[in-house]
Amino acid sequence: MPVLRGSVTFARFRLASGKPPADARRFARALARGAFEPLDLERGEDDRATGFVRLDDADAIDFSSGVLERGRALFAWRVDALLIKAAAVRAELGRWAAAFEREHGRLPARGEKATAKDQIRHQLRRRAEPSSRTSDVSWNLERGELQIWAASRKTVEECAAAIEAAFELKLEPASVSAQAVRRDIPEAALAPTAELMGLAAEEVGRGQA
Amino acid sequence: MGKREQAREEAAFLRGDVGVDGAATAADDRDAAEKERDQAREQLLRGRTWLGRELLTWLLWRSESGDPVVAVEGAEVVPLFVGKVLLRGLAGEVVELSARGDAAAYSTQVKHALQGGLLVHQARLRFTLGERSFEATLDAEFLDVRSAKLPELLTDEEDDRAAERLALCEELGAIVDAIVASFLEERASTAWRRRTVPALLAWMGATAGGRRAASDR
Repeated sequence: MPVLRGSVTFARFRLASGKPPADARRFARALARGAFEPLDLERGEDDRATGFVRLDDADAIDFSSGVLERGRALFAWRVDALLIKAAAVRAELGRWAAAFEREHGRLPARGEKATAKDQIRHQLRRRAEPSSRTSDVSWNLERGELQIWAASRKTVEECAAAIEAAFELKLEPASVSAQAVRRDIPEAALAPTAELMGLAAEEVGRGQA
Repeated sequence: MGKREQAREEAAFLRGDVGVDGAATAADDRDAAEKERDQAREQLLRGRTWLGRELLTWLLWRSESGDPVVAVEGAEVVPLFVGKVLLRGLAGEVVELSARGDAAAYSTQVKHALQGGLLVHQARLRFTLGERSFEATLDAEFLDVRSAKLPELLTDEEDDRAAERLALCEELGAIVDAIVASFLEERASTAWRRRTVPALLAWMGATAGGRRAASDR
């Protein structure tokens, strides 16, 4: 749990609109809307499963207690993914193509190959073991500042979008651009400074920057 | 073959970008230099990244004197660039440059690169507030906090330590926000082009005319 110990790496967000509930029960209900659901290897077709879990237990999705403490919400974002090695698909496909040629006396057509590739992928999928990762989330409800403790931008953006959907609010990153927009700085004043970028002013004006 | 390269190949195969024989399904005719330039331009434009780069470059200039740049809840913040600094730009032949060393960011080599139109894209910074100091790597695009070092925790209780650690992380966020606010105030004022940019260029050791001449070359 990086929130409590270990490497301090996080992305910051602020509330752009809407507000998270300060009441523990309503907060838990909102989290439950985006709760983690494991991959169904037998029936499902998805290769990724994502959702919220408890900070202290990545298998638990009961948020009824221990999430809101001292004005902060603490939970985690779990991502399970199935990785099917392309090399394994390629090897199986090669074997299938050789058998096809022996049987039919010709090379498989593009469409036949694509169908076989899908079937092979499906078989390998059922044997694959999903990898699992969790990223902590801390949310200061008084200041409206959210921290997603992940280094991967994809994870950060996926988690932020899930929070927006579950809590029906809008988040904005803590980037310089977002802060400039929040301060109502006119668009014209935000154009790149040509002199600093080694470009002529006309190049920036023409949108070449 | 390296792990990363293997993963890239696998992803391309699964996306259908390359066939079973490893050959591309659709060819990209652009030459390497053109691809690199397009990539550099895309990195700069994405989310107005130039603002973050200008911020970090401005902060490098402001921090060289060792004077405080902003105050957060009454405490003056003295920033210092420590360790590795990554520069990126569009003009000229070099689109990315990395400098490593204790005071690498303040070296003449880095200033020379800034003169050539590169700006600071990522840097390791130390923020000193009285006797306490925070350290973090910041990037221009998102201002994400990476591998931060926080001041020593003062409490012993496990729960209190967690709360203190989170409060320190939020304080680090507030320091970064205060610096951004100070930068934006200056950036949006008429003084930016009249005073700040010429002073920045003079610090780098170039005049605007000289810089243009250099980029034309």
